[in-house]
Amino acid sequence: MHHAKITDNLTYPEHENTHKLFFGIAILGAIASILGYFINPEQFYFSYLTSFTFYASIALGCLFFVMVHHITRSEYGVVLRRIPETYASFIYIFAILFIPILIGVETLYLWTDEELLATDKLIAGKSPYLNIPFFIARNVLYFTVWSYMGYKLYKNSVAMDKSGDWGLDTAQRKIAGPGLFIFGFTLAFASFDWMMSLDPPWFSTMFGVYYFAMTFQVFFAVVILTVLFLHKKGLLTNTIRIPHISDLSRMLFGFTVFYAYIAFSQFFLIYYANIPEETLWFYHRLEGNWENFTYLLLIGRFVVPFLILLPAASKNNMKLVGIVSAWIVIVHFIELHWIVMPTLHHYGMEFSWIDIATLLGIGGLFMGMFFRQFRKENMVSNNDPRLEASLNKH
Amino acid sequence: MKENTDKQTYGLLAEFKNPAHLMKAAKLTNKAGYKNYDCYSPFPIHGMDDAMGLKPSKLGYIVLGHAILGFTGALSLISWTASVGYPVNISGKPFLNFPAFVPVTFELTILLSAFGAVFGMFFLNNMPKHHNPIFNSDTFKKATDDGFFVIIESDDDLFHDEKTRAFLQEAGAVHIETIEK
Repeated sequence: MHHAKITDNLTYPEHENTHKLFFGIAILGAIASILGYFINPEQFYFSYLTSFTFYASIALGCLFFVMVHHITRSEYGVVLRRIPETYASFIYIFAILFIPILIGVETLYLWTDEELLATDKLIAGKSPYLNIPFFIARNVLYFTVWSYMGYKLYKNSVAMDKSGDWGLDTAQRKIAGPGLFIFGFTLAFASFDWMMSLDPPWFSTMFGVYYFAMTFQVFFAVVILTVLFLHKKGLLTNTIRIPHISDLSRMLFGFTVFYAYIAFSQFFLIYYANIPEETLWFYHRLEGNWENFTYLLLIGRFVVPFLILLPAASKNNMKLVGIVSAWIVIVHFIELHWIVMPTLHHYGMEFSWIDIATLLGIGGLFMGMFFRQFRKENMVSNNDPRLEASLNKH
Repeated sequence: MKENTDKQTYGLLAEFKNPAHLMKAAKLTNKAGYKNYDCYSPFPIHGMDDAMGLKPSKLGYIVLGHAILGFTGALSLISWTASVGYPVNISGKPFLNFPAFVPVTFELTILLSAFGAVFGMFFLNNMPKHHNPIFNSDTFKKATDDGFFVIIESDDDLFHDEKTRAFLQEAGAVHIETIEK
């Protein structure tokens, strides 16, 4: 086996102002969102929650991947790892971005309504868990844990670039091991708090896994798109090569099936048992034109990507993989919209311009933070013990 | 050697010194136009498929065929039995109840795909095969230890006892022998 060396330039070009462009979008989005707040506060809060869960899922998917990468001592992922590492390094911004949700907590969540609690025994029975102080405390815990893990994994990795100290690889595994365990619980409970409790009588024990399945599917799509973006700029073309991207596509394909399995299982158990308090959630999502979106998710998020990515040849076709990835990111947003919005618009999707405003606002900040961080350090961790194996991948 | 006719000869077995020589010999054999030949080594050699000019396996298509058969078979069976053959009212749900059909359809698709993969692999590898004439050769036993072999079978159109022997000699074989049926 020949010795592979990185031949590409490892730093994001100085003159590129990608992050400034995104921060500009963020400012425009923020102004539009504030305007939206004054015009229709209710719509604003729900749109904001949708966009928040959308970007949070991308960052959390990245955090999960980095931890899995370390604990499995993955070889193929070494050249890719800096991208998810960077996405996961600034989860603390989501703690700040969560403040508007806390302000609007009484608009968003029915379980805060004292009058309703007095009459509705079912919801009142859940108030030991679903109350505002505990809700805040839980979210503080989630963001603390995630921010710490994401930041620490990133810092260690960057430190290894400079010092070449392979002992840091062990330190990474020591975070990743317990980290994955904690991640499983915090992600599940966060999804219960953010989205499941929008409909307080409803519950699904699978909801945490369901949010995770969506998250991890879209994660691969986002990394593929980021790599293709870098390639388009002529960066890392000899380091992250087609074999790496086809591996990501294989994972995207695999987690498309996983998503379908989880999403269908959740639906199927509730549908078959036919217990009113469980079935209502899906009943609302089969009302009006929400029904069309339910079928769109089935076909658009599983059937079509599955059939497109099934042949081996399509995983080597970068154009096709890019289109499928972009489509999955869009469908991911539609699905979160489909989860959150029926609480506000019972009888059908009413897409609002405020949805776009919040999407651009948070998205601009998220992507801007990514590129600001990404240009500061090497784009590949160039002293990793398994770098050579990763470069030699075929 | 004298009593050998073409019918009784299975092929020519040539031994090579190391994987690199074997790879080179495989390339030459492929280039010379031989079709019925094979290479043997104690371990997989990377790049051998390309050297021998092997096409990607057809197994995927066999599996796909079985998967489609399982999918349509399961769906038609369960649809017919549940809605035409023996309709039973289950908590007022429709007879043609697709969500309820998914598990069976899924299982049968997977089952037939797995059968297709295993038995298709047997079929493509000419298995089960109880005896292979190359086992008649004592030298060939080294193939599980440190021997690297090319065998050109006598039913190949280009096969000619002397010419093929000379060809293998030229390709760098250290030992050549005739395998009898």
